[in-house]
Amino acid sequence: MRTTKHWSKLAVLVMAFMLLVGASLTSAQDDTTAWWAEAGAQFAGVTLRGVSESTPASNYVKDVLAPQFTELTGINVELETTSWDQMYDKAIRDMEAGTGLYDFVYIEQDIIYGYLANEYLVDMTQALADNPELAAPEFSFDNFTTFVDYFKNDEGHVFGMPMEAFVKIYLYRTDLFEDADIMAAFEAEYGYPLAPATTHQQYTDIATFFTAYGEANDLDLWGTTVQAASGHPSSFYEFFESVAPTFGVYNWGINQETWKASVANGGEMNSDAAKEALAWWLNNLQFAPPESTSSTWDEVAASFAAGRAAQGLVYGENAAWIATDATRSNVVGNVGVALPPVEPGVMEAAEADTGYIGYYDGGAFGLPVSSQNQQATLLWLQFVGLPSVQAEWAAASSRIVMEPTYDDPLVVAMDEATNGYYSLMQDQGYLFAGAPPFPFHPQVREAVAPFIYRAIAGEITPAEALDGAAAAAEAELISLGYGS
Amino acid sequence: MRRTRTGWLLLSPTLIIMFIFGLFPFIYVLLVGFNDWNPFSARDGLTYIGVDNYRNLVFDNLFLNALGVTIRFTFFAVLSELIIGFLLANLLARDFFGKTLFRIVHTVPLMIAPIAVGAIWRLMTIPGFGPIPYFLDRWFDVSFNIGTSSDQAFLSILIMDIWHWTPFVTLTMLAGLTALPREPVEAAQVDGANRWQIFRHITLPLMRPVILTTVFIRVMDALRTVDEINMLTNGGGPGTSTRTLGIHIFRVVFPQTDYGYGSAMSLLTLYLTIVACWLLFVSLTQVRRNN
Repeated sequence: MRTTKHWSKLAVLVMAFMLLVGASLTSAQDDTTAWWAEAGAQFAGVTLRGVSESTPASNYVKDVLAPQFTELTGINVELETTSWDQMYDKAIRDMEAGTGLYDFVYIEQDIIYGYLANEYLVDMTQALADNPELAAPEFSFDNFTTFVDYFKNDEGHVFGMPMEAFVKIYLYRTDLFEDADIMAAFEAEYGYPLAPATTHQQYTDIATFFTAYGEANDLDLWGTTVQAASGHPSSFYEFFESVAPTFGVYNWGINQETWKASVANGGEMNSDAAKEALAWWLNNLQFAPPESTSSTWDEVAASFAAGRAAQGLVYGENAAWIATDATRSNVVGNVGVALPPVEPGVMEAAEADTGYIGYYDGGAFGLPVSSQNQQATLLWLQFVGLPSVQAEWAAASSRIVMEPTYDDPLVVAMDEATNGYYSLMQDQGYLFAGAPPFPFHPQVREAVAPFIYRAIAGEITPAEALDGAAAAAEAELISLGYGS
Repeated sequence: MRRTRTGWLLLSPTLIIMFIFGLFPFIYVLLVGFNDWNPFSARDGLTYIGVDNYRNLVFDNLFLNALGVTIRFTFFAVLSELIIGFLLANLLARDFFGKTLFRIVHTVPLMIAPIAVGAIWRLMTIPGFGPIPYFLDRWFDVSFNIGTSSDQAFLSILIMDIWHWTPFVTLTMLAGLTALPREPVEAAQVDGANRWQIFRHITLPLMRPVILTTVFIRVMDALRTVDEINMLTNGGGPGTSTRTLGIHIFRVVFPQTDYGYGSAMSLLTLYLTIVACWLLFVSLTQVRRNN
């Protein structure tokens, strides 16, 4: 009887505690909502315009976050999502001319150095310090992973609100790699077990094997994807940011002390390792779907999702939908992730932080100096950087910019669905690196890329391409005032 | 005096608009062309370099390649459109079953925006998915890949342009043919001239002003084609085999942000276009005078 009484008291206490916690949480949430409504009231009716690349992460911002923010604050947000090159053209033109058309622009990590050099962007750290009434209580730059460092100046001030970060990953088809008959056939042919490649030779063996397998079984299946559009910068990026580093050629082969690219002048762009890398990459074309020479990053993801390749290097932002969205992908549940294959010594260099094995991609939203609505945009960008909006966003577009997001149940579930993409990014993301800090990024790319295009088309050899590319890069650097 | 003042007053809105939207940009580009100006350069602002940009153009392989591609493209596209358009106009000048339907279907490409034309042809030619590579492979065992074959890519942009713009040539030719006086033809028929002689000595000379105008319009259009080729070959590939002057200038001015060099390139292209049109005009009017 006495025990029952105690239990009753305990139950009442627990219920009271839960009610208290619930009430305080609701109250906190109400406070938060009230803060945003109050902060946004003075800008209600204002429309903020932004431009971004049409990526899963940006589309989530447009479709989900922008309406949420409008509901909270009364501030409208119009995000124009367009192609990567159009996005840059529009943003740079607007900021260069100071027209103030856009209130926020997408800044891919590789262009930030150029934007900072041209003073296109508002110092967000300073702006929030100058306008404490606009600083959201739950927002802090300290919440972000070290990826935010890419968007800081020398003084540590932040100029871009991180909104996506992912690694370019090695995806493979688990249904093929784990098929007993296929595994036996592969081992019989190559003398070692079928598994995600850790070396370039293994990668080529696997590509060769599955291309032959597809042909023998009358399947639309090839050994690998190759992002080799023969007139589009995406092929330049796949080679210099994803393939060359796995051969130990970093930072596009440009010596950052002398601003030279050729071996003769201390660079590495036309080194033997770079030429070997380009030859290897181009050789993969024969094991790739025929659309590969017209494939940019989007088409590579689409080819893999269509089940046309057994393996490939794919931008991680696509991992979630490829692995889980049955309306767009034929390989749902059959996607494995691994680190890219590397040459001996490259992994050790990456672990020692003297090299890297691939591209850590991502971007932020920047606030142009020319924006006519800087204060309202500051509010909006903080909203994008709130911890509370991160998990669903991460699950929808496999991007993570805050450490705690990895532990969210939604992300943990997606991690399982993608066979560990998120874990890999969390645990081994440090092996990858963003683009080198070049303020002349698109300029040198445009000078070098035609040589890569011509090599893809078979007009010149890999060696000729990189010799020409190194000379063109140096000429462009000199014309831009770097080196002599 | 008063009449003159009123005249200038009435003209002034047009002159102001022409200055702002026509003359001012031209003068601006002219001035920028004499400078080194890249906002991503280590140097700030514009640096006057005289005619260096123009001198560099002469030795710029990419520019010369783009110029060659543009000339080849313009020549073959306009010539093909002229021949096919003229033949179709002659066909449409007669009565036959289904003529109205044929004329409508034939004119449809003209109504499509160039960027959409590029997208349609890209979908049709993309290796692995497009119907053109598929059927060429299946029926003729021809491997068609515009991502690797320069010739096939160039042929594709030519066929696309011919498909898109031949209806325009057909319509202008048809307008010219229907407006021709009947008397000379009837007189020739009475004199016993055959159809070829009538075509050669009457129709063709009478149609010359229409042909001349059509060629002018098409040459100027073809020289500045950008969007449909850019869309079809993903920026002028493979390599630089379909990179026309328009695409090249776009890449230099926008992604490369080399405003000075791009301005010089634009002006030289404008100059070459004017010279080409002038030569064309002089040669055609000379032929007319000789006749």
